[in-house]
Amino acid sequence: MLNILLKKLIKTASGRTRFVMAVIGLSVALLLILSAVQIQANYNELLNGKTNQDSTANFLVVNKEVNNATINATTLSDDELKRLSQLPFIDAVGNISPGRFKASAESYTKTFPFYTDIAFESVPDEFIDINSKDWKWQQGSDFIPMIIPNMFLDIYNFQFAVSQGYPQITPDLLKAMSFKINMYNPNGTVQYYTGRIVGFSDRISSVLVPQNFMDWANKNYGSNASGKPSRVVIRTKDPGNPALVGYLKQNGLTTDADKTRFSKYRQIVNAVVNVSWVTGAVMLLFALLIFTLFIQLTIASCKEEIQLLITLGAAPKQLQGFLMKRFFPSNIVITVLSLVVITVLQYILHGILQKQHIFVSAYPSYYTLGVAVIILLSLWLLNYTTIKKYIKNS
Amino acid sequence: MQITLHNVVPIPLKDKLQQRPSDIWNTQQTLKPGEWIKIKAPSGTGKTTLTHILYKLRFDYLGNVLWNDQDIRTVTGGALAEKRQQQLSIIFQDLRLFNNLTARENIELNRVLQQPHYETNMVDAMAEKLGVAHILNQRAGLCSYGEQQRIAIIRALVQPFEFLLMDEPFSHLDKANTAIAAALIAEECTKRKAAFVLTDLDDDDHFNYTRKLNL
Repeated sequence: MLNILLKKLIKTASGRTRFVMAVIGLSVALLLILSAVQIQANYNELLNGKTNQDSTANFLVVNKEVNNATINATTLSDDELKRLSQLPFIDAVGNISPGRFKASAESYTKTFPFYTDIAFESVPDEFIDINSKDWKWQQGSDFIPMIIPNMFLDIYNFQFAVSQGYPQITPDLLKAMSFKINMYNPNGTVQYYTGRIVGFSDRISSVLVPQNFMDWANKNYGSNASGKPSRVVIRTKDPGNPALVGYLKQNGLTTDADKTRFSKYRQIVNAVVNVSWVTGAVMLLFALLIFTLFIQLTIASCKEEIQLLITLGAAPKQLQGFLMKRFFPSNIVITVLSLVVITVLQYILHGILQKQHIFVSAYPSYYTLGVAVIILLSLWLLNYTTIKKYIKNS
Repeated sequence: MQITLHNVVPIPLKDKLQQRPSDIWNTQQTLKPGEWIKIKAPSGTGKTTLTHILYKLRFDYLGNVLWNDQDIRTVTGGALAEKRQQQLSIIFQDLRLFNNLTARENIELNRVLQQPHYETNMVDAMAEKLGVAHILNQRAGLCSYGEQQRIAIIRALVQPFEFLLMDEPFSHLDKANTAIAAALIAEECTKRKAAFVLTDLDDDDHFNYTRKLNL
């Protein structure tokens, strides 16, 4: 009953166009801000989500560009390595140690004869994506496990075997074969080892041996050439990070361009998100201003009625409660509607991207909901303080 | 409820009041619970000012006014509303109705501001008694002053109170209607064991006054 009477006394109709403007402004602002949050959340999901990760995406092999200036001087100095490891967007740096000895590989069988000079590299185990129980070496052991790039097998199967009329080889068959590895001392003597391929990797395009074997072999067979690495493998959350790509370019370093191709898209996404943020924030500010003005206007235009109500014994709390009920529900409706729109858009996006095997959640992220709640709380606070202030003043 | 005045002098009337004796201004006066007090005063000596000071509508005075033992300057916000809802009721000389509400809505508003003291049928009964039942659904702004005054009286009587302040409450009523209204007020005050203060220009015997004071 009281509310019906108060509704008759405290009319808001006078500013209806202003109210509609405030509502539209607030809705657009909320939509922009929430979509900015959602786009960011989607992007983070794409970067860190399990389903989207492939084994190579987060590891990059970095080396100096070989050109006229750097020719025969591509080793990375301690200083350069230290700076790389300190960059915020690089999680870890693994040196790729080159073998400093001569070696060759040949087959044991006459049915599949081959002989080739060979060179090894090694990286710490944490940078390797092969889990094999054979991937280990102990001093005294004459068995050397090796990891070779997938690409090598492809080259053999689809290029070499076809042109030479050799049979194609499956990875499992290749893994079952042993090779004779000849290691040459600087003084000319040779020692024999048995090598076997234990895995194929896309991550590092090199013939890899265990790190401790490499250290031992370099000591025993190595020449005095520099042990400094020319290549390193880095782990990063986001190979498409424009900052990373920029840093590499600036320092004359190069990497697998394919893996950093997202950098350009990422810059566009960043720009879109930022524009959305700023526009949304500015619009929110104006919408809040209009809303505050609307509340002020309503209270000011009913000043006499409010004064008489208080004279008759209406408690400021009763009036505040009534005014909150008039103004705040529209805020809730706007926020909920914005969330619904975002949810629908996200669902559609989920469907579209799924067809391209890119997986984002079908629902808005918790961050989006969180931001919506925070904005709603701020709106409540703004409504409450404005109403309280102007009731007190009238 | 008891109202105490300690040397109260309205600042605008300060010079004028020092030249004449008063039972109220610049002295100690206690308006005790249950007392029916008539305050008589000629025009321009501060009847309305007194009513407004007692109801805490203005502060431009020297001295202190206490509701029970509390200086009313310290009563604000929710506590003030609570006093006006439960203990103090008022009939203004200038009536102060909401012109855009109907007569009934004006009364209802004061009835439902707090936990209602009376059911709504009491409004009809009082309106019937005072002869304004037929205009209850008319906008207050369109009612005559006599009708508005009776609506204001009913509005003051539908809420709980221990003290009723009346500022020339019968100024727009003829003798017969005044007698009926006074009888209703007396009945309601007796029911509640409530006190009242009535200010007027002349002597009258509408009520069995406990005390008559000169302003």
